[in-house]
Amino acid sequence: MQMTVLALSLAVMAAIVWAFIAAAHAAGSAEVSAGVESRRMKLIVALAVIGVVVSVVSLRPWPHAASAAPAAVVNVSGGQWYWEIDSQSVPLGQPVAFNAQTADVTHGFGVMDPGGRILFQVQVIPGYVNRVDYTFDAPGAYRVVCLEYCGLAHHDMITEFTVAAE
Amino acid sequence: MTTMTETHAPAAIPQAGAVKLTMLLGGVVFLLMMIFGLLMRSTQGGLIEIDPALFYQILTAHGAGMVGTAGLTGAAILWYFTGRHVPLLPGVYWAFLGLFLLGVVLILGAIFLGGYAGAWTFLYPLPAMSGGQWGPGASIAFLLGYTSIGVGFLLLHLEVMRKLIGAYGGIGGALAWPVAFGNGRAEDAPPPAVVASMASSIFNTLGIVVGAAVLVASIVNLAVPGFAVDALLAKNMIFFFGHVFINASIYMAVIAVYEIVPDYIGKPWKTTRLFAIAWTVVLFFVLAVYPHHLLQDLPMPAWAMAMGQIVSYFSGIPLIAVTAFSLLVYLRQAKGLRWDLASALLVLGVAGWTAGSVPAILDGMIVVNKVMHNTQWVPGHFHTYLILGEVAMAFGFMTWLTRREGEALTGLNRAAFWVYAAGGAGFVLMFLVSGALSVPRRWAVHLPEWHLQAQLASAFAALVILGVTVFVLRYLARLGRG
Repeated sequence: MQMTVLALSLAVMAAIVWAFIAAAHAAGSAEVSAGVESRRMKLIVALAVIGVVVSVVSLRPWPHAASAAPAAVVNVSGGQWYWEIDSQSVPLGQPVAFNAQTADVTHGFGVMDPGGRILFQVQVIPGYVNRVDYTFDAPGAYRVVCLEYCGLAHHDMITEFTVAAE
Repeated sequence: MTTMTETHAPAAIPQAGAVKLTMLLGGVVFLLMMIFGLLMRSTQGGLIEIDPALFYQILTAHGAGMVGTAGLTGAAILWYFTGRHVPLLPGVYWAFLGLFLLGVVLILGAIFLGGYAGAWTFLYPLPAMSGGQWGPGASIAFLLGYTSIGVGFLLLHLEVMRKLIGAYGGIGGALAWPVAFGNGRAEDAPPPAVVASMASSIFNTLGIVVGAAVLVASIVNLAVPGFAVDALLAKNMIFFFGHVFINASIYMAVIAVYEIVPDYIGKPWKTTRLFAIAWTVVLFFVLAVYPHHLLQDLPMPAWAMAMGQIVSYFSGIPLIAVTAFSLLVYLRQAKGLRWDLASALLVLGVAGWTAGSVPAILDGMIVVNKVMHNTQWVPGHFHTYLILGEVAMAFGFMTWLTRREGEALTGLNRAAFWVYAAGGAGFVLMFLVSGALSVPRRWAVHLPEWHLQAQLASAFAALVILGVTVFVLRYLARLGRG
């Protein structure tokens, strides 16, 4: 996901930069043309259509949908500057519900796979039980990090849990 | 190059001197904050060592300083060009500047004397729960600093709106609604600077009022800890304020493009029906899009998150299809256009702002945000539309203020421009790559496998600083010569 997003982003950004460089080099070459406004309207319509399609596709199913019957429920507590997880091992291939709460300020419960890639995250807001579900598809040691700045040792809020092999 | 008309000469603008002073302050603070940025990236790259407590103080100063200075320079641009069309009270601008400087003193004191390091976002209840790093007095000073700056902005915007409403027959008149939604003729519409000034003043005023409310609530919480605020409500208010304020900075700065670029191209930037509609859309989208900052706050209503994603995408259309597209058309049609440093920086500003909207829109999608939020992808996109967007426009305006007739983009000017543009592009690229590699943002200490991008970013940051040093020294020298 992340590398696809990077590639797509850089490609579109490069196209925009190219459009400006081309226009700067072509300065004075174009005459006032009625076709300009037609092209602009086509661009607006195209962007709007892409927006509708992308919105529908990316919001259905709802990205934060919770499982009706998770295989495991893991309670996570964050505080300055620690994580406490009541289960050090979670099942593979079945939905796991994480209920994250904070003892003090807002934290960001982020989970990285054994390769260091972020899989999911949830903001841990004071006064709320912040539930996020995830189904792990590979066993191993997963790193928990804090992804919301929370003070002096924010970068030290790291722990691990294991996804058990079947 | 088309010469300036007599009525648009800087000397004819009331308070040109005050605006020039503001831009000098802005340029120097941008430079200092960029040096802070270089220190942070060098620390993250393992090139130097900074104690985490000091790192987070620098982080806080960098964020508050950059956002504040973007706002300051944007407001100076808005004031300067609005003054071309309606008379503005000079005392209001001095009050704005005085309150801004008072706020800066309070903020710097809170950070470097009081040890405050709660980030520029002062996310409730962090200012009151520092884990022993700083006391409530430092937090209160920081928040009062913001309040002082906010009051100054409110005065400025209220004066601008008061005069525009009077001159153009109400809010709708200043926003060109008769042209956008009625039978009004485009020839009778207010100029683009007026439309942009009115829209930016409306949304920034609303943002600052909400910001003031959460600032006061946070201050009361610090003084009377028993007074608690719902953390999610406070976060909504903070991000509404923060999002609107930084967007207003850019939308105010683009007024310089509307007013200056036509002088180079020899063709006025006109308020068309589409332009007027676009700015009304921008007005509502800027206010509605802030939930895209809360896409991982799962207690938020689902409709708000969906709205944040959808509005985030559609916010890009007025920018891409109206402002950027129009500038591209103007450039292609320009006869006898001669580039100088000012015009190059202004065009770079629109290009960088437009390009920066792409990673921002992608991050505004919930499925992407789930894995990219609060990674370095986030500073990646906002540094794109700030370094290569608002800040470039601000330096373009500064350069234009002290331009000389017949100048071209040659010699030191050319070198400084390309050093700045290339350094800025490389710098933001390292953030985006780091974000894609899941490197968290706002970490004082980085894992060794993340060092390389931070080291490269440090080199690119040095280039940006080099370019900006030339811009500021050049501006200072020309101000000195008069």
